[in-house]
Amino acid sequence: MDVKYINPFIAAAQTVFKSMLAIDAKMGKPIIKNKGVASGDVTGIMGLVGDRKGTLCISFHERGALFVFKTLVGDECDKLCPEVVDAIGELTNIISGQARKEFEQAGVNLSAAIPMVVVGKNTEMNFITAIPIISLPFSFSVNNGDHETMYLDFSFE
Amino acid sequence: MGKCIMTVDDSASVRQMVSFTLKGAGYEVVEACDGSDALTKLSGKPINMIITDLNMPNLDGIGLIRGVRGNASYKFIPIIMLTTESQDSKKQEGKSAGATGWIVKPFKPEQLLAVIKRVLG
Repeated sequence: MDVKYINPFIAAAQTVFKSMLAIDAKMGKPIIKNKGVASGDVTGIMGLVGDRKGTLCISFHERGALFVFKTLVGDECDKLCPEVVDAIGELTNIISGQARKEFEQAGVNLSAAIPMVVVGKNTEMNFITAIPIISLPFSFSVNNGDHETMYLDFSFE
Repeated sequence: MGKCIMTVDDSASVRQMVSFTLKGAGYEVVEACDGSDALTKLSGKPINMIITDLNMPNLDGIGLIRGVRGNASYKFIPIIMLTTESQDSKKQEGKSAGATGWIVKPFKPEQLLAVIKRVLG
């Protein structure tokens, strides 16, 4: 896949983390997935259509999602309650919006669907495009110096 | 008493974020979960400004603006769109409907407050 279709997602994820959460998200090694399975425990999904079509997923393990919720909203939750799910959906929406802006600057116009969020490990997902799926892991520091990962998975054609 | 701002968004997280930022700066806040809810709540206490999302169920941000501008009492109330949509065509649609300004998410709290201060004085 041409890097011009990957870079907007990277820039979007890092910009949103920096702006909304004041966190530096460090990208790890991308992996290619040949199965549509959620990378984490809670996953926001957004379809993209326009000059290209694709699917964007933002996925966290439970601890990472709870940390993001606390940082974003200021409240604490000890499990994946509806408020946390809503926050992950909105974060997906915002990252998608920022990615669409980056794509527009590169001459690719995209529109987004309504985001949805699924909760559960190894949840199967049908991407509207053919596999493979590119998974970009972004590491970020949580309270005690530990690290959590946000997975930005997408397929695009 | 501080000025009262209505935040309209179908995401509770966004309402909470905006509300937290505004209350910290001394504003009173009324929350509404979509355009329809906002129009209902407008008839309650006096509102000095509306900050609204664009894409919402029941009544979206554009519909809300049209509804507000159609009411003589709220014809001149400032309305700021706070949305992930950054396309010029969307902005133009908002402007034509009567939006005062447009902030694209992601936003920093200080950026939101700067816009409010500029609009409300």
